[in-house]
Amino acid sequence: MSTLVFLAPPIVACIILAGMLSYFGNHILSRGIIFIDIAVAQIAALGTMIGILLGFAEDSVNAQIVSYAFTILVLGIFSLMKVRKQLLPQEAIIGIFYCIALGMALLLAEKIPGGSNYITKTITGNVLWVTWKSVLGCLVVFVPLLIINLLFEKTLKRVTHGEIAGNSMGRTRLYDLIFYITFGIVIVKSVPVMGIFLVFMLLIGPASISRIFVRSWKARIIWSWIIGSLGSLAGIYVSYSMNISNGPAIVSLIGIAAYIAAFAKLYMKRGDEKIITTN
Amino acid sequence: MLSIEFILLPFVGCLLIVLINVYFGLHVIKREIIFIDIALASIAALGSAVGMILFESTHVEHSHEAHGFLPYIFSLGFISLASFSFTLLRHKRIPIPLEAIIGIAYAVATTLTVIILDKGAGGDVHVHDMLIGTILWISGHQLTRLAIVVIIVGVFHIIYRKKFLSLTESFHDRKNIIKKHKLWDFLFYFSFGLVVVEAVNIAGILTVFAFLILPASLSVILTGNWMTKLIVGWVAGITASFAGLLFSLKLDVPSAPVIITLLGIILLLGYLMYKLSAYKKQAKEISGS
Repeated sequence: MSTLVFLAPPIVACIILAGMLSYFGNHILSRGIIFIDIAVAQIAALGTMIGILLGFAEDSVNAQIVSYAFTILVLGIFSLMKVRKQLLPQEAIIGIFYCIALGMALLLAEKIPGGSNYITKTITGNVLWVTWKSVLGCLVVFVPLLIINLLFEKTLKRVTHGEIAGNSMGRTRLYDLIFYITFGIVIVKSVPVMGIFLVFMLLIGPASISRIFVRSWKARIIWSWIIGSLGSLAGIYVSYSMNISNGPAIVSLIGIAAYIAAFAKLYMKRGDEKIITTN
Repeated sequence: MLSIEFILLPFVGCLLIVLINVYFGLHVIKREIIFIDIALASIAALGSAVGMILFESTHVEHSHEAHGFLPYIFSLGFISLASFSFTLLRHKRIPIPLEAIIGIAYAVATTLTVIILDKGAGGDVHVHDMLIGTILWISGHQLTRLAIVVIIVGVFHIIYRKKFLSLTESFHDRKNIIKKHKLWDFLFYFSFGLVVVEAVNIAGILTVFAFLILPASLSVILTGNWMTKLIVGWVAGITASFAGLLFSLKLDVPSAPVIITLLGIILLLGYLMYKLSAYKKQAKEISGS
């Protein structure tokens, strides 16, 4: 019984996060900007380092404000770079941003005592350290963001699928800005709690599996949430019984499941496919 | 000029990586599989970790510098498996972009390596080593290996350049697909993996990624034809690595971030030039009509 009490906050955190990330994950997948969360996390880490260089303590509110402001600024630039005739794919722009942010972080690390700790700090997180307080903290941030996204849901969905809102590039960029800023805040908030690879996998893995098997937007999001939650639970169980860290366990489980799902779809008989698409 | 002699070996190393990576970068950007290089590097690392665990199970922590024969074979095996899966899973029945599959493979490979190496602790240090690399301290032996791989893969791609070009051109619409395209797709990923393993070993994941994406992006912005794109990318990459190595030696800062910053500045200048010429064109059209 005591283990259950101990495991309750991480499980609740995983289910909440799986839900939030399943919504964003389907958007990300349809936009084809898979690695954006790794880039955003790196940009946020760079922001924190700038905050520290400005003289704020690492965990202080000021350093966090600098980090958020910097992340939002970069995401703003990113959404402005969307043009009608895209020369470079957006994923390439994300790659460039990631690369330069990481390079800058390495350069700044020379100026901060013990700076190299900040560069890769976010790589491994541990779900078991999650407390009720941080679960509540996540909820307080996520609910307003979710409401904002639901308010503009229809247009956001159309913009994600490559349409131009109201036939105006400016308005499309505005919707992009709303999407990227809310997404950025979710990533910056959740990466320190869960670690970057778990957030990455919860975004891409469940969304990929559900996209392989179902078509409708709503079904995709709901199935992603279910798959993400089940994967997290199974991962926590496996990590607990095999004594390995839980983040990597969840990531490997969902990732391998996605691979199996893709190959299953590849070699399924044509008849099966028809049944699924007609359902 | 002692410093020139000192950076000669690293510069030749950078030169080789730039030559081959700008070429691959153009392909990778066209195919929109930007992060494949980081994914293949992690998959190779997982392979060598598995090899080390299976055959040299003592002193695992200290042997990742040495690069024995078996770990190398294992990383090649893992890379060919991954290339095989990337080839198969780009299929009209799979409605997700290949980049998503690559991302999943990347995350799984990295976390499995962390699990295998020592169940989590110390994983940060390993990742940190792999990111930056130590190109300033490249040895003659490492350089020879890199040169051999780059020459073999380069000659192979020069001989069959038409196949690889049309393969990448038809990557998204699949109209003029060539015969045996699966085999060529596999060879593309696998040969790229061979280069990535050697290059990352010397220069680190981040620098190799920068050489792959930044110069090629510049040439995509500036020009149209494949040959001029290659030349623009090469000039940008070679300039940035020479100046970067020199700066890093003179100012005593790590070379990787300096080279990346220089590449970023060159790219920014190129983007501004492109924007400027686009505005001029627009202004001319308006005044003309």
